[in-house]
Amino acid sequence: MPASLGDYEQVVGGAAISQLQQLAEHLKGATVVHVNSTKEGGGVAEILKWLVPMMNELGLHTLWEVIQGEELYFQTTKAFHNGLQGKSVILSKSMIDAYENTVRDNAERLRSILEAADFVLIHDPQPATLLEHCQGRKGKWVWRCHIDVSHPYRRIWQYLKPKIAPYDASVFSMAEFAHTLPHPEFLIAPSIDPLSEKNVELSQAEINRVRQQFNISNGRPILTQISRFDRFKDPIGVIEAFKMVREGVDAQLILAGGGATDDPEGATVLEEVKDAAGDDDHIHVLFLPSDAHRTINALQRASTIVIQKSLQEGFGLTVTEALWKGKPVIGGNVGGIRRQVHNYHTGFLVDTPEGAALRIKYLLRHPGQIKAMGETAREFVRENFLLTRHLREYLTLLLGLRQGLSNHLLAE
Amino acid sequence: MNNTEESFRLKDCTIIVRMAGVDPAINLRELRERIAACPIDSVYHHFCETLIRPSFDYPDFRNDFAIWAFRNLRDRVLAERLGIINPYSFGDLEQLRFRVVEIIDERLDEVHYIPWVPKGEEFRFLRAATIVFDTGIDFHSAGEFVRQLPNLSHSSLYYHFLEARRRTGDGTDDFTAWMIKFKKQPTRLIKALAGIDFYFLSLIELKTAIYNATLNFEKQEKRDARLTR
Repeated sequence: MPASLGDYEQVVGGAAISQLQQLAEHLKGATVVHVNSTKEGGGVAEILKWLVPMMNELGLHTLWEVIQGEELYFQTTKAFHNGLQGKSVILSKSMIDAYENTVRDNAERLRSILEAADFVLIHDPQPATLLEHCQGRKGKWVWRCHIDVSHPYRRIWQYLKPKIAPYDASVFSMAEFAHTLPHPEFLIAPSIDPLSEKNVELSQAEINRVRQQFNISNGRPILTQISRFDRFKDPIGVIEAFKMVREGVDAQLILAGGGATDDPEGATVLEEVKDAAGDDDHIHVLFLPSDAHRTINALQRASTIVIQKSLQEGFGLTVTEALWKGKPVIGGNVGGIRRQVHNYHTGFLVDTPEGAALRIKYLLRHPGQIKAMGETAREFVRENFLLTRHLREYLTLLLGLRQGLSNHLLAE
Repeated sequence: MNNTEESFRLKDCTIIVRMAGVDPAINLRELRERIAACPIDSVYHHFCETLIRPSFDYPDFRNDFAIWAFRNLRDRVLAERLGIINPYSFGDLEQLRFRVVEIIDERLDEVHYIPWVPKGEEFRFLRAATIVFDTGIDFHSAGEFVRQLPNLSHSSLYYHFLEARRRTGDGTDDFTAWMIKFKKQPTRLIKALAGIDFYFLSLIELKTAIYNATLNFEKQEKRDARLTR
């Protein structure tokens, strides 16, 4: 059962909860519909799992709808995803047809709900074209882009931009991800739920049990990267870095992640990772079910250092999770990782496998730094990246769209 | 003891940031053109709202234009000239904008080529809306304000001490505006608040500065009361 607002008071304090209630008072009874492309796997689904019940608890009638599609549709949206992040991709006519037909069919199914809603939040490009099929819409429509579209592959952006432009507003995680659009573009960083299965405190016994389950030694430092098996997460680069670390230090590496129903490339990348790991028994490649949240939680807590050596990244919620658990993070110098990892404060930003190896070795030789950075990291997340701040900004956005955008909004 | 008819209602605030609707600037000339034309809220954001963003650095400069000149354009001269600007010393934000453009124009005359940054490091113009919350807390006297000071959140302090100067129009903070209406004004306290050189302080430092400035207030009040008797 999801936690209720009152449960968060002990983590974030009473004032933060009161602010949410003050904002929600102005929006009570409004209907909000979120639409994305998967119920399981990936950061968006994880955010919606707490956001939707919490908005309901605050008195907004909130629904979560998921686009239903066949494999070719998801291959096409994966190509959009890659293209928006700058990769050169080719879309065949059959792919475009599959995409447009699927969205049209979903629009038929969801039209009455979407057109009647006061606010519709469309997450990422997969359902983005729903808007053009809902001509009778009465509410405000917001495109919530969770990925970095600052340097998209031109042809993909040319296709999508005219479909996104008619939205009432869009939301990006950082200014650097945004592309100029003819409507207000808000900046809202994502967040984590400190009471979810993935982040809740665990007993040492439970952490040990998970470690033993995967034959991970307690006697040597544990380096962990948690992420989907996706080339943008550079799991091969992590293995290269680990091999450099191992030249002088006895350590072990965990590469663990689940799949997502909207990511058809995962299996291929997993095979590449297994090949790169070879028969090194210090490297643990774990393909976990998408609901293995408690296992991931335990692996992060068992880790000495967490790695997120992405080459492209939206925000990087796995980084936030690790910081919340008091772990320094060696992160790729890209996207939202830059907002979370600050050299010598919460970890280190790196550009190469060599850089990652260098920083890992440094930290392993300075255990005091690991502890100090971990403490700073947890407080940094408490201040900036927990779900109450995130929810407050969503409510503010809705209030702003309803009241009109001025430089002052009164929630009192 | 109440020494005013009106109590002070403590507020808190946060901001929600959005793009200012201006194309990013990739070189100094573009920065000048965009600053000259951007919404005035954007100038305010990059000078004054930088304080309530998460940061670990003790930044060399308090405004985003100076920081960008220093870190990205790598023009230390320009960064220093922009960095010393105190936005609160201008009568209005348009005067501030005029001064910034003037400084950049001077620099453009001096340099032999237009400083630029690589793709991805452009200056992105932002603006923000302030959202005001009620804390449910009232101060009924200056003494109560002084005693509660250590418990104030940084965002409350920002709202009443800094943001107020834009909102009230006469450049006064909310605490002073409240105390000025007292029948018997706490003159020393008002003077102490006015004497704080606040712009170049972080919110943590500002809180300490206000706390230090008010430290002897109650002691002095008691002494004054004894002398009057």
